[in-house]
Amino acid sequence: MTLKRGFLALTLLALGATAVLALWVTPPRENEGWDAVRLLYLHVPCAWIAYLAFGITAVASLLYLVPRTRHPSWDLLAGASAEVGVIFTALMLIVGSLWGRPTWGTWWAWDARLTTTAIMFFLYLGYLALRRSGATVAERGKRCAIAALIAFADVPIVHFSVTWWQTLHQQGTVFNPKLDVQIDGSMAFTLVLAVAAFTMLYGYFVMERFELAQLEEGREERELQLAIAERVRAERREQVVPA
Amino acid sequence: MSHNWNYVVAGYAIVTASLAGYGVWLRVKLRRARRSLPEESGD
Repeated sequence: MTLKRGFLALTLLALGATAVLALWVTPPRENEGWDAVRLLYLHVPCAWIAYLAFGITAVASLLYLVPRTRHPSWDLLAGASAEVGVIFTALMLIVGSLWGRPTWGTWWAWDARLTTTAIMFFLYLGYLALRRSGATVAERGKRCAIAALIAFADVPIVHFSVTWWQTLHQQGTVFNPKLDVQIDGSMAFTLVLAVAAFTMLYGYFVMERFELAQLEEGREERELQLAIAERVRAERREQVVPA
Repeated sequence: MSHNWNYVVAGYAIVTASLAGYGVWLRVKLRRARRSLPEESGD
């Protein structure tokens, strides 16, 4: 518990430092959104977390599907990571839209990057809805693992959309086809720190969400056991009374 | 001259509020779930 609190304190410190650097230290971008560029220190880490979260969901789902590695924990981890990923994807879309308005002159454009990202968001919303469908734990686990692997097919499409199609959205600043990093100085440092801070926050959220899922699953199991025990007791009483 | 600070403030406020809200929701749910453990096991 103390370790988790220490990790949270470190995460909040990193997030605070990111905010200070992003809002007061880094320069604005002349003639291209000016101070709106500060939104990219949120937008890019959110995009990274979306990839990471859905990647972990896919790996955990795969491990759940393989009989040799199957364990309920993989299913719970997949669900926890997907939920956190959906939140960061929503924030990526909102912040991207806030950046697009002053820079592109529009809140939204149906270009390849934005459209495939919106599809990814709705695919994983559907995945989360599927997790709530009434089924046994094993049935749900298998069904959701297959859905997670299908949904993950959209992630590389989102990433490479700016390379495969002509888009309003710019090419990757760091991970572009030529691997030509187009950022340096305080902007590069702030972006790296922001990515690290958001990754730590993702880790903290997943740990908490995973523990909550375990407790909820355990509670459902205990409630079921109690109901069965009660039923057995009631049946025994009924058998005793006529005799 | 507008430097688009209104968009920046909106973005940082939305992200902070959303992530803090989710964090608080998780902590509350976790605390309740942990608290319900001894009650049930005592039955």
